[in-house]
Amino acid sequence: MADLRRLGKRGSYRLGRLGGPRPAPSAPPAPHYPSFAPHHRGPIGLWLLACLAGVVIVAAGALAGWWFLPFLAGLAGGLIAHYGRWRLRVSLPAVMLIAAAGWGGALWSLVRGGLPEGAVAREIAALAGLPASSAVAIAVTLLVAVIQAAVGLWLGRALAPGYGLR
Amino acid sequence: MSSVGRVINVLAALLVSAAVLALFAVGYGPVPALGRALVPGHGAWASAPGGQPIHSQTLSLPGLAHPVSVAFTSHGVASVRAADEADAYLALGYLHARFRLTEMDLERRLGEGRIAQLAGPAGLSSDRFELRLGLLRTAQAEWAATPRTSPAAQVLIAYSRGVNDYLAQARRTGQWPSLFGLTGVYPTPWTPTDSLVLQGVLTQELDYTTTPLDYAILARTLGPHHTMAWFPLLAPGRGTPYDPGPYKYHGLAPIAPQSTTAFTRAAGRAASPPPTSQAQASGGGAAAERPAGGEPAAMAAGLVPGPAAKGPVPGPAARVASLSDPSSSRASGTTAATTADDRQRAEAPVSGPGSSSNPITAHVATAAAAMLAQANALPAGLIHEYPDSNAWAANGPKVSGAKSMLAGDPHLPQTVPSIWYQVALSAPGLSVTGVSVPGLPGVLIGHNAHIAWSLTDTQNQATLFYTERTSKTRPGQYFWRGAWRRMRQVHYTIPVRGGPAVHLTVNITVHGPVMTQAGQTTSVDWMGNIPSPDISVIIGVTHARDFAQFHAALADWRAPSQNFVYADDRGNIGAISAGYYPLVRHGDPWLPMPGTGADDVAGVIPYASVPQVYDPPGHVVATANQRPVGPSYPYYIGTSANFFDPGYRAGEIYASLRGQRGMHPASFAAIQLSLTDRLAQQIVPRLLAALRGAHLSAQQQEAAALLHGWDATMAQHSAAAPLWWTFWGDYLDAVFRPWWKAAKVPVHKDPPGLAISPQNQFSLDQVLASWTTGDPANSAFSPPGGPHRTAPEVMRAAFATAVAHLAATLHGAPSSWAWGRIHSRQFPSVTQADALGYGPRASGADSWTVNAADGGLVSHQGPSWRMIVAWAGHGTATGESVYPGGQSENPASPWYEDQMADWWDGRYLALPPAGGYPAGQVRWSLRP
Repeated sequence: MADLRRLGKRGSYRLGRLGGPRPAPSAPPAPHYPSFAPHHRGPIGLWLLACLAGVVIVAAGALAGWWFLPFLAGLAGGLIAHYGRWRLRVSLPAVMLIAAAGWGGALWSLVRGGLPEGAVAREIAALAGLPASSAVAIAVTLLVAVIQAAVGLWLGRALAPGYGLR
Repeated sequence: MSSVGRVINVLAALLVSAAVLALFAVGYGPVPALGRALVPGHGAWASAPGGQPIHSQTLSLPGLAHPVSVAFTSHGVASVRAADEADAYLALGYLHARFRLTEMDLERRLGEGRIAQLAGPAGLSSDRFELRLGLLRTAQAEWAATPRTSPAAQVLIAYSRGVNDYLAQARRTGQWPSLFGLTGVYPTPWTPTDSLVLQGVLTQELDYTTTPLDYAILARTLGPHHTMAWFPLLAPGRGTPYDPGPYKYHGLAPIAPQSTTAFTRAAGRAASPPPTSQAQASGGGAAAERPAGGEPAAMAAGLVPGPAAKGPVPGPAARVASLSDPSSSRASGTTAATTADDRQRAEAPVSGPGSSSNPITAHVATAAAAMLAQANALPAGLIHEYPDSNAWAANGPKVSGAKSMLAGDPHLPQTVPSIWYQVALSAPGLSVTGVSVPGLPGVLIGHNAHIAWSLTDTQNQATLFYTERTSKTRPGQYFWRGAWRRMRQVHYTIPVRGGPAVHLTVNITVHGPVMTQAGQTTSVDWMGNIPSPDISVIIGVTHARDFAQFHAALADWRAPSQNFVYADDRGNIGAISAGYYPLVRHGDPWLPMPGTGADDVAGVIPYASVPQVYDPPGHVVATANQRPVGPSYPYYIGTSANFFDPGYRAGEIYASLRGQRGMHPASFAAIQLSLTDRLAQQIVPRLLAALRGAHLSAQQQEAAALLHGWDATMAQHSAAAPLWWTFWGDYLDAVFRPWWKAAKVPVHKDPPGLAISPQNQFSLDQVLASWTTGDPANSAFSPPGGPHRTAPEVMRAAFATAVAHLAATLHGAPSSWAWGRIHSRQFPSVTQADALGYGPRASGADSWTVNAADGGLVSHQGPSWRMIVAWAGHGTATGESVYPGGQSENPASPWYEDQMADWWDGRYLALPPAGGYPAGQVRWSLRP
């Protein structure tokens, strides 16, 4: 019903509404109840174990010269996320962590084996024209693994679209 | 997401995944294959095991005939003991590759024009230059001409096998040095030609100069009058020749002929065709054409003597006296009167002194500038700029506790790793210790069981430039000895990292490769392009037991010309300046010369006439790159401009040696470490005399007081040293810059060769010192168009400028100044990665101190190896040595720069005996 006080004023009329039937009342929006209940399938412990296995595989693959394993880890993560109903906000950090920890772990194991990886890292940075710091070369190395994993995850999620972008 | 959106998402993901994987797998442009390069444990990370301390082990080396043992000292100095020489050199090849593969491969790439394959387009200028110059062609020709049964060939083959044994091991384990793992560009198998290319690189660093090009530009701008007065053939003063004469003229020796097939085969081209037509002028013809073997430059001089190949080639004194420009005679100590004036230089073409047939036209100057630009684009050190090295020997009453003693410290570009790899080799008939050059078999400096030797660069002119006569109507041809000749062409394809390959065509005339066609087609006749059996000579020296054998072995040495200083276990000493000294019958070799034939190289100084001494009566002989002979020497060997050291180092060495008796190794060490600047000793008293009575500010008075009590020592903490250095630079500037400015000398075209800076233009240093002490009213002190000035007036002004400069730079009172605050040494990495080098670190020394620091305020050249050997008796020597750096090129290795501190502090390490130590802390057993 029109507001009589607004009659004659700009914007007071809605064509088709004055004489039309009333719209059916819509249902009120459902209330949002924050919940920490899991939306994924399977026990979280198993998923964490799978992540750990991924780290080990990526690390072992690195030591074997299989530089592309972080990509495969990401790809697998994307596909598995579909099954496990993992959201991107979980699966992306997870695969990146697997890749970084895998290559980082491989480097760590080499250092534990007595190899002077710190000095080599500094040399790599210097040869690449970067600031000659071990941390820079290590960061770039881990970044290469992380980029692979992220791209792999994208491909996996694209092939098996799943549980939303969030 | 809609189905269309889903498809787009899949496609995009696939595309990006493929791109990322491709980038990480093969790289793109200059970006390396990051996946392969950075995967832990592989790629660039795979060098880590090479940085670990080595341990005793047994290694299998295919190619060995017998087991070989290698014992290492705590500094990684290897003692190789083998059952025959081939095995010893195979082991040396393996050691070089194990510890210096990056250095070897970079040097090889440099000489063979393949830097761009590793470094991308930035390396193209170097590759083009080297392929033009022809180190690879020369090496190929030399190897083709080496009989496979000769000792040199056997050594080269065994050495290459040793290098390849390591390459195979690296290929198997993937443990390459980081540079290869990072770039993905790995070394190809090593060949004897590669070693000969490295020999060529070393020759280039020591022997290839661009001074004639600078002379051309100076003659074109300053005019021949001033050019030859300020850059004379003979520097003023008596000099300090180690061979004072008397000299004998033995005519000319032909340049050795060599294979005529190697170059043709290597280049895939036929030999030079006969003349395309005969010109009316006579004197040439097909019969006089040079063959195609090796580099054609200068070869024909041996095969086809020039038309005037008889009669003496005038020595410097005679040539100077014949110059049309009397000012050069004055500067050289002759007595002709000055008649020329600066108006000459306004005329074109400008004639060089002594030859009216040598026009320095604008085209020639343009070509010179183009070639200088090429040279300046090269990595540092490839063009010979600085005099290098000290070496001396003493015997008789001069030494105590020894029959003779020898000291040597070659001054070379200081890099990390060093140019040297220290080693001792032992096999039946072979027993030697010293330093080798990675990539080359043999010990270059050191001692065997009976003789010791060290090298300094002779500095004679070995690079001659020819302006070829060409015609637009005859493309690809040049005129030589009365006929038009077709240039031979060699085609190269240069692989470029991250870009398309580049094609290069090199034109070659009878003189040598055409280096530029800008302005004027100009070729270079460089002695380094003549195959030189250096490996064979070094093998001969290594086996020599006395001076006669040493002398005989050096007869075949051609390039780079070197002063070989000698001492033996019988108490004899000596020196020989072995190598080729090119001579022309006509023309001025210090300028680009016409290439039509008359000015060609006619031969070289016969071996019997090259500078040499044996057991000199004074019981000492010393070379420090000074002119090795006096002014009466009957052959031309070069000018004062960058060809010879001014002799301040040599003078200091001789003064130290002559002033002492009964010297010990410690006495020699003190001389090697001397920081006395002899030029400062000479000039500072004149400066103080000039300042006496002058009105000085309080700061200037304090600065002058510093000089009063100064002993001319360029110590790091000396407050007077920076004052002297800055004063000398400002003094040079005050005298010469007005002339440079008035003549519009294009300094920017070659700052190293044309700029006025202290200890860079040796001629200017010498002539100014000479005027200051003996001709203070020289007209050069008065600037063109300016008021009359004398040396003391200019010195006072320069002193005031220097004090102001230092006050602005160092601040505070003059007593707080220190040489080390403005002067440092730097040791760049051979990879050009700054962080892998050493320094810059505050340091004492300058170019004129025996403990030299060349290159200006950030010095990058100096003593690359210090060695002292004392012969106590028959077959008994004690030696000590040190070099800046370490045995390993791997920055992670404990042997990367472990000798640097000892070198820096002037300490020495024990030199392994000839043949090395039988045992060491770590021992390798090499099995066939």
